[in-house]
Amino acid sequence: MELVLSPCGIVDKKRPGQGLMDIGKAGFEKLVCDLSMLFETRKPQHTWPLEYWKPERLYECFRPVLEKGKEIGLSFPVVEMPVPDTDTGGADLNGFLMTLAQEGVKACGKIGCHNFIVSPLFVGIPRDDLWNENREFFLRIAGEAREKDVTVLLKNQCRNFNGHLVRGVWCDGQEASAWVDRLNEEVGEERFGFCMDVGICNLCGQNMYDFITALGHRLRAVVLRDNDGSHDNALLPFTAVNGGALQTDWLNLIRGLRDICFDGHLILNITDTASVASPILKPGLLQYAKSVLDYFCWQIRMESMLKKYPSRVLFGAGNMCRNYMKCYGDEYPPLYTCDNDERLWNTEFCGLTVKAPEALRQLEPDTVILICNTFYREIEQQLRKMDLQNPIEYFNDEYMSSFYFDRLEREG
Amino acid sequence: MLSIGVQTKNVIEDSCPEEGYVRLRGMGFNCVDFSLNCYLKNTDLYRQKRNSFFDRSAEELKEYFAPHKKAAEASGVRIHQMHMPYPVYVPGGTRTLNDYLWKEVAPKSLQICSFLECRYLVFHGFKMVRYLGSEEKEWEQTEKLIDFLAPTAKELGIVLCMENLYDGFGGHLTEGPGCSVRKAVERIDRINEKYRTEVLGFCFDTGHANLVGIDMESFLTALGSRLKVLHIHDNDGISDLHQIPFVFTKSRENAPSTDWDGFIRGLRKINFDQTLSFETAPALDAFPKALRQDALELIAKCGKYFADEICRTETVSVNNDEKSEFFS
Repeated sequence: MELVLSPCGIVDKKRPGQGLMDIGKAGFEKLVCDLSMLFETRKPQHTWPLEYWKPERLYECFRPVLEKGKEIGLSFPVVEMPVPDTDTGGADLNGFLMTLAQEGVKACGKIGCHNFIVSPLFVGIPRDDLWNENREFFLRIAGEAREKDVTVLLKNQCRNFNGHLVRGVWCDGQEASAWVDRLNEEVGEERFGFCMDVGICNLCGQNMYDFITALGHRLRAVVLRDNDGSHDNALLPFTAVNGGALQTDWLNLIRGLRDICFDGHLILNITDTASVASPILKPGLLQYAKSVLDYFCWQIRMESMLKKYPSRVLFGAGNMCRNYMKCYGDEYPPLYTCDNDERLWNTEFCGLTVKAPEALRQLEPDTVILICNTFYREIEQQLRKMDLQNPIEYFNDEYMSSFYFDRLEREG
Repeated sequence: MLSIGVQTKNVIEDSCPEEGYVRLRGMGFNCVDFSLNCYLKNTDLYRQKRNSFFDRSAEELKEYFAPHKKAAEASGVRIHQMHMPYPVYVPGGTRTLNDYLWKEVAPKSLQICSFLECRYLVFHGFKMVRYLGSEEKEWEQTEKLIDFLAPTAKELGIVLCMENLYDGFGGHLTEGPGCSVRKAVERIDRINEKYRTEVLGFCFDTGHANLVGIDMESFLTALGSRLKVLHIHDNDGISDLHQIPFVFTKSRENAPSTDWDGFIRGLRKINFDQTLSFETAPALDAFPKALRQDALELIAKCGKYFADEICRTETVSVNNDEKSEFFS
């Protein structure tokens, strides 16, 4: 999986040095070459600069960012086209976007980037003509894409219905899959794939598990961003909350990505969160953003972590242990579990013997100890103090493939 | 010919049902959506509480509702559809409660539906994606309920209607059971084939569709004749407000933020000929008592407007312009 950050809201296109430096220091290595930076589409009263913008200058405009980025060791594996808003229609927006896309593919070649994210043409196009108009659009860029070894990723799009954002083109996973397959069939190779924008799925209240599993292997990139389900913002994940609860269905997103063994580009877009952060706070925000992106990657790969070890024991005999046994107990059975609660020692829990932590000293050295308790760091410290040589990993049950209806409640 | 209906909740009183039915008829409603769900409230069920209303035998329940039947007939109002109490399964609820909902409430709802000569009984599918892991597994549970009820429904000539519902995360309402039209079509056809008659149909809820940005025109078009029942109401796209159509806007131009044109086009395309039924009881609560009559009349007029627009077949070609602007 490639972890990528969108520099929007972080990097100043005219003086990119500081923003890129903050990004690099936070531990990011890969960036999206996000063309919306050039258009400042998120500024109020934005209009598309059709009159004076020259698409052929695209690469030149982005060059300061690219050069500075490369200087500090950042690479650009993905180029993304800007998404038009219907309000900024203009005379020939679709023609402009078509030229921009062609130049975008050329820019991919110059940058050495192999993934190009494109939204559909839809402004003013009748529903029944969408396929034909877009077919022509995509086939027109397919030749150049082949030459430059670029995969074109179609991205889901919502529709602005009198201010209400509703499902638009490619919001149906099966329909989107059919488009990708038809385009690939027409060009005779796998030149097209899909990029899922989580923010769009959230605005449309979609079941993300169904969306992802319908796309399957076609899903090559996922844009992670948060919003409140009604405003099209790009917030840092887990920050759109209401009454202490998350407003995005991260559970079904992670379930879906695990199910298809997603291994593509995981792109973090925090444009709106970063835009309002003080320059003083940005380095700290970026470090936290990196942790969030790493966390997603870790969650998606949870099972591959379990697979890595020949045998395992659990630490914790509570709800998390119970959830482990429900979802992974058959495939990755633990030898036993242990717990600090003396009352549980030598009892049975979910088919496992509960032992005292001291029992861990008898383990084979390659047996992993999986901490199944939310007091991770405290328990890890306890285990480190025991001077055990075994690998120690955290297990987490926030995004299980299924859950019990109830939670165990123990006294004390 | 399209009929126009509204919920009985907030309009028809058990103490004197004839008054409410006559009032509705006078305003232009010729159908009602019988709110059986009011007799066993979902808010109580989610708190693991229930009253004893459905402890009555089927015969006693029929006797209880006999005045409604008589009053509706006398006023010329048809009970077109009925809403079964919901949920039929409370996740984490006691076995006793869930058994009661499944084995007592659901079958008795069928009996009452039949007694009131109502053809369509709307039920809510199970909401269990979080626990079971996928919508498919959730549907397996709903299908068990359908299989339990279908033989009786077939015998009584009742069509069970699944509805598009929502779920939620931190107050953000997201799609729930019945929001995939592709799956709904496959399931309805398969189950009807299995029972060799129409035991399952669809209840399209405009408000729930609006909450999750569903394209109403394509959804309705895909449903076709499987669409039996409507729950027409409006909201702001954020909360399930059950208000009168055309009241919400999100732009300075004050154009409606719900795609009512798409709704009309969809029904027109499939030649919908059932009842335009409004699920707008909460809207009546919003008005002072002195204005409720006017509010009900406005709902009836909305129904008349929808009926006229749906039946205006000659406007299909005129609306080509409208269609071409769909994405603009």
